[in-house]
Formats: sequence, C-alpha cells, structure tokens
Amino acid sequence: MPIRRRRDGRYAVKLDPGVRAVLVTMAEQLAPILSPDEPMTRRLFPPAYPAEEQAGAEQEYRSLVDGALVNRHRQAFAVMAETAQADTLSESELTDWLSAVGSLRLVLGTRLDVSEEMDAPDPDDPSAPEYALYELLGQLQYLMIEVLAAQLPEEGRPEGTL
Amino acid sequence: MRPRARHLPPLSSRQAGTAPVEVEHPDLDESRSTDRPWLVIVWNDPINLMSFVTFVFQKLFGYSKEKATKLMLDVHHKGRAVVSSGTRERAELDVYRLHEHGLWATMEQST
Repeated sequence: MPIRRRRDGRYAVKLDPGVRAVLVTMAEQLAPILSPDEPMTRRLFPPAYPAEEQAGAEQEYRSLVDGALVNRHRQAFAVMAETAQADTLSESELTDWLSAVGSLRLVLGTRLDVSEEMDAPDPDDPSAPEYALYELLGQLQYLMIEVLAAQLPEEGRPEGTL
Repeated sequence: MRPRARHLPPLSSRQAGTAPVEVEHPDLDESRSTDRPWLVIVWNDPINLMSFVTFVFQKLFGYSKEKATKLMLDVHHKGRAVVSSGTRERAELDVYRLHEHGLWATMEQST
C-alpha cells in the first residue's frame, strides 16, 4: 500500500516524485489567494445561515470564523508543502495532508463543475488534464482516509467526549 | 440526533411517592421559541467522497461507524441529514467544525 501505518504509529508514504511535486505546486498557488471573496476558493467557506432573512446572522458567523478558516486551510497547505518529500509522516501531519488534499479537490471539483454521474472528459478536452488531477487527488484522499479511519473506534466515543 | 441518556430511570418512577408534582408555568410556551433546539444539517455535494463524510462524522461527533455510515447515506440519498442538534452556540460550533472539513453544513431552528 502506498500509505500504511507502521508499528511506531508513523505513516509510511510511498508516492511518485511527480505527485509530490504537484501537491507542493498546488498548495503554494492556492495558499496565498485563499479567501471567501476569491471565486476559486469560495467553496471552502460555505454559509451557516443560507436563508436570506438570516443575512445578519450569516454576516456575524462569517466575521467570527472566516479568519480561522483561512488560517486552518493555510496551515494544512503549509504542512503538506513542508513534508511533501518525506518518507514518513506523523498522524498530525497526515491529517493535515488529508485536509489539504480535500481542499484542493473541492477547488478543482468546483472549477470543473463535477457531478456525481460525470464521466471523465475526452482526452482532447481542454479540461482533461485538470480532471485527471482531480481524480488523482481523490485516489490519494481515499488512501489517507482508509488508514486514518482504521484508528477510530468502530463503536464510537462515549457521548459528550470530544 | 444524539441518543438520550439511557441510564436515568423514567421520570415517573423517580417521582413516585414524592410531594405534589409541579404544575407547568403558563408562560412556558412563550419561552419555548428560544428553547427550540438548533439542527445542524449536512447537504449532499458531488465532490466529497462518501468514505470521507463517514470519517468526519465519526471523528467530530464520536458516532459509531454504523451511525456515521447511516447519516452519510441519508445525505447521499435524501440530499441532507440532521447530524447534531443543541443550543445555538453548540450548533454553530458544529457547523464551523464541519466547514473546517469542507462539508456543506448549515443550521436552522427546529420547528
């Protein structure tokens, strides 16, 4: 498996150097422009109160969380870029990778306007390279979820604990 | 959506043999509008992987894999699911944590 949990609790990551390079490039391109006002990254800032009559509550929510959301996403991108060449990752680093790769997929998927029944575009289609990248990120995310989900208790946590 | 506490005996048995049962205050209905719980709703989106949505429900809410999977399938098939409920502050925190994970979450007061 390209990503596997070792006995010492670290995660061994075997990835093509080209894939690692793409992750760094995308993270570095996206981190500085991350904003709820930037159309390309808008998807990372969903509304809490979508109804029009709750515009006031929504504005308050945005002023409370947008700064924290930007920081959270930037931090995940930074950790992924810094550790992109590593052979092993801590659980915290891998969790940041999962977050960063998920954000990249959301941005790309929104740009591509993907739908659940969508087929891959024709190889000559101008969106084909971007779609291939979107698929690659999906495969990578799937692998990370597999190993991280295996660490969660199947029966859940006692009620009220974080 | 959270399971009720299962270890408390039913109210009637705890009150058995005790002094007169308190009568409901007449103004209770008025205060209820602010007491109605807020519901946290996750909406279907075509990008997030099903396994990711299940993972996030388990991680954030401590739900069992079974319950998290059921909620994810509700989101997928019905378009939305209530994933938690509580005070407005609690619901806002849950929405924020779901937004941190890229899920399309909103909140509304139950009717």
